[in-house]
Amino acid sequence: MTAFAGVTISWPALAPILVLTGAGLLIMLVDLVSRATLRGLLYGIGILGAVGAGLTMLPLYGHSVTTLAGAFASDRFSWLFDLVLLGSLAVTLLLSSLRRAEDGGSPGAYAALLVFAAIGGMVMAGAANLMIIFLGLEQLSLALYVLAGMGYPRAASQEAALKYVLLGSLASAFLIFGSALLYGSSGGLSLDAVHAAASVPSGLFVTGLALFVVGIGFKLALAPFHSWVPDVYEGSPLAVTAFMAVAVKAASLAVLARVTYVVFGHDTSALAPLWLLAIISMLVGNVGAIRQRNLKRLLGYSSIAQVGYMVVGLAGVGPQGLSALAFYLVAYALTTLGAFAVMALLADGGEEYADLGAYPGLAARRPWPAAAMALFFFSLAGIPATAGFYGKLLLLAEGLAAGPWGLALDVTLVVGTVVSLYVYGKIVWDMYSFTEPEAVVPTGNALPSWVAVAAGALGTLVLGLAPQLFAMSQPFLSVGPR
Amino acid sequence: MLIDTVIFLPLATAIVLLAIPRTAHNALKGVALAGAVATFALSLAFINLGTSVAADQNVPWIQTLWTAAYHVRVDGVRLFFILLTTLVAAVSIWGAFSYDQPERLRGYLCLLLAFETTLLGVFTAADLLLFYIYWDLMLIPVFLLLTGFSGTAEARRAAWSYLIYNGAGGLVLLLGIVALVAHTHTFEPAATLSLPARTAWWIFAAFALAFAIKTPLFPFHAWMPPTYTFAPAPVVALVSGVQSKAGLFGLLAFALPLFPQAAHAWAPVLLILATAGILYGALAAIGEQDVKTLVGFSSLSHLGLVWLALFAFDMTSVPAGILMIVSHGLIAAALFLLLGFIEERTGTRDLARFGGLAWQAPRLAVFLLIAAMAALGLPGLSGFAGEFLILIGSWQTQPVFTALALVAIVLASVYMLKLFQGTMHGPQRLGQAAPSVRDLRPRELALVAPLLAGIVFLGVWPAWLNDRTPSQVTAAAAVTRVGGVPDSPHAAHTASAARKAAAGLQMQTARRADGMVAEAGS
Repeated sequence: MTAFAGVTISWPALAPILVLTGAGLLIMLVDLVSRATLRGLLYGIGILGAVGAGLTMLPLYGHSVTTLAGAFASDRFSWLFDLVLLGSLAVTLLLSSLRRAEDGGSPGAYAALLVFAAIGGMVMAGAANLMIIFLGLEQLSLALYVLAGMGYPRAASQEAALKYVLLGSLASAFLIFGSALLYGSSGGLSLDAVHAAASVPSGLFVTGLALFVVGIGFKLALAPFHSWVPDVYEGSPLAVTAFMAVAVKAASLAVLARVTYVVFGHDTSALAPLWLLAIISMLVGNVGAIRQRNLKRLLGYSSIAQVGYMVVGLAGVGPQGLSALAFYLVAYALTTLGAFAVMALLADGGEEYADLGAYPGLAARRPWPAAAMALFFFSLAGIPATAGFYGKLLLLAEGLAAGPWGLALDVTLVVGTVVSLYVYGKIVWDMYSFTEPEAVVPTGNALPSWVAVAAGALGTLVLGLAPQLFAMSQPFLSVGPR
Repeated sequence: MLIDTVIFLPLATAIVLLAIPRTAHNALKGVALAGAVATFALSLAFINLGTSVAADQNVPWIQTLWTAAYHVRVDGVRLFFILLTTLVAAVSIWGAFSYDQPERLRGYLCLLLAFETTLLGVFTAADLLLFYIYWDLMLIPVFLLLTGFSGTAEARRAAWSYLIYNGAGGLVLLLGIVALVAHTHTFEPAATLSLPARTAWWIFAAFALAFAIKTPLFPFHAWMPPTYTFAPAPVVALVSGVQSKAGLFGLLAFALPLFPQAAHAWAPVLLILATAGILYGALAAIGEQDVKTLVGFSSLSHLGLVWLALFAFDMTSVPAGILMIVSHGLIAAALFLLLGFIEERTGTRDLARFGGLAWQAPRLAVFLLIAAMAALGLPGLSGFAGEFLILIGSWQTQPVFTALALVAIVLASVYMLKLFQGTMHGPQRLGQAAPSVRDLRPRELALVAPLLAGIVFLGVWPAWLNDRTPSQVTAAAAVTRVGGVPDSPHAAHTASAARKAAAGLQMQTARRADGMVAEAGS
């Protein structure tokens, strides 16, 4: 602890972010020296930075520290989200390292932007103050606006960047305006102050909260604020899409969960609109995925539905629900990153392997990538022995404990899952049904992609078979002291 | 532990297969069959381990918000499900040797073996989480076998209806289990539950719906005809012979003991559906021209009879239901395998195109005759024993439904004779395309023989099975009965009957079985 201009700072709590910032700056320095030749080094620094940040997190486990005058919390809750963010950063860098065509000829800028985006996410995960939430969100978003367009030789990538900027800034505008109204009604920027105002909600407060939720809903891509997802996911570079699908969701969920938890405590009656958004998302995401012929678009729709599932974990606003949400998030991150890793593996730096027309017959020619893909889809569909199954189990239990809205959420979750059986089953069906592939056999076999695929598959199976490893015996997630 | 060995030996064999080159067909076949036969041989050891609980293993697994355990058990009920599984699986894997895409044989055998492990997992699980995990895992091998290894577009479409129907059923079951666990905080089925009656009613409905889809029970059978018709014979033998019993097992092992009152409350609905299925299945089979679909509908009819047996809550009918389950498993597996042999030889399943095969393939004709006679309930074969005891029992409590079900027994003769005569007797209609139909090869003869032996054995000595089941099942039935809903019309007279039955129950069952055998012998 040191005091700085009257504010006490807990350096250990900030260490992960600082380490990662150092890695980002180092990438920019090395990039000055040599742009093209040290490509591997640039990505390596990023990955090492993620690992280093992860190591500095180890002593923080189980501690709750609030620092920067209560604006930033480091607790079990942010710890887990940081872990997901760092993991997705490392995997994204791993996958990007092979995809020369998609970093805009500037690997240094690409890698550094990814690192800074992850820092933005980690700031969001620990933010306990409306201003910090917005700062983190903007850092994450601005980096991603650029990254979405990095595959600019393809027109789709430019289109994705433009759409993402326009709708993303609109969402930011909602969020900052909502924050301003919340500040106006509560007289403070900290979530505690907002909590105090929640007991006697004024019109100003309700409007502010609604705008805030709409802003976060855009970032999370909850239906009906999801319209940007398919195009942006399709157009962005493959690895960036993977990062969007996991890191952006994780960081935004962290904000949503912390705001819900801190502001409303155990009184969820005011949150009916949020449950409605979740219900619509589960339906729109799964039904929308049915007709997709592009795997990136399909995973985009799927992510809409998966976020809807995760919101069910908030229905009871309690530590158990947060645990369920966090478990499902980890399961989702492992399987989604794994699925993108399989795509990257098959593409091997070349043309994206996103067209579903290329998947029939894959199992006959590339049995192991096909088996891994099938495993990830089974996990997304919630088949037992995978992490996704146990996550759904926890979420269903949380919903059942949360009254009529919880029951409605549960039933929608089940209906959505049945629809998703078709969505994911269709791809498995394609891969296994045909012995003669209609398209060229993919030859990709790069080691970094294999590492990512294996990590995802192993994690999915281990969490599915031994969920107790995910320490849930204690009040596992708690949002730091209020 | 013996029990783990039995469950996982097939899976281990599948993993060993992956290490063998896919072109080494003889090695693949040898190892797969050896694994399956060894599993069967080991499972026979459970018979002598005692009648009430043969083996029980309970290892704590998840202890977080709820507790779940790796809890597997073999007892009087589970024993027969396990023996049925290991026998039919071994026979089916042997039957898969003639698979027509030899370059994909390895994956085919691996999936069949993995399927056997999931089935054994379902039938040994004594913990609801474990049960559910295996329950849903069964989907994957069957889905992949249908899509990737059956080779026809119809089978690939059938895979869809299979996956969506059974997947939806599985999720409803999951919702039911989670609702139960939300009250008990453990996946271990509790001996006594203090659930609100309304909650129990809903949870039982969720369980029953999932089990009805899996069996299938009319009108949840839409996935059944395409799956049974288009899947390769060894796969259908396992799906129809064994997997269709998973729902009935779930009723016996979990749903009935856990929610006796709710079971009584739901019984009228389920009895109506069962009887409707018995009649509908029989009538549909009579009108069917495709031999495999015909046998599929006959399964719908016969398994409806088991639902009738269970929900008649009679001391005789419930154990007889288990006899019928095992008997139907053997008969269905034998019929589907034999029809598979016929399809391999003639390339058709259409009754209108068969005829006179007995002339060219007399041994095939004899085997098919035995299996068909068992299915139509000829005394001396297992089908008769099961049906007869069920009808005796269910008549005591449900005379109306039993009388309706009796009609279907008559109809069974119609469709089974139609099947046999249409294929084996009459003029040869296959034409020049198939000039000579080979008789059964020694392998085919040898692999169907154990099933037929089992059919005859249970036909002449049903008490062998009945004597081993009662203690467990009748206890469950007695609980079900005594715990009947107070205001249900049955409650008054069933309570007194239960008290009487509690004493002389086992003997009564045995006497009836012996009487039946005597009758069969005369």
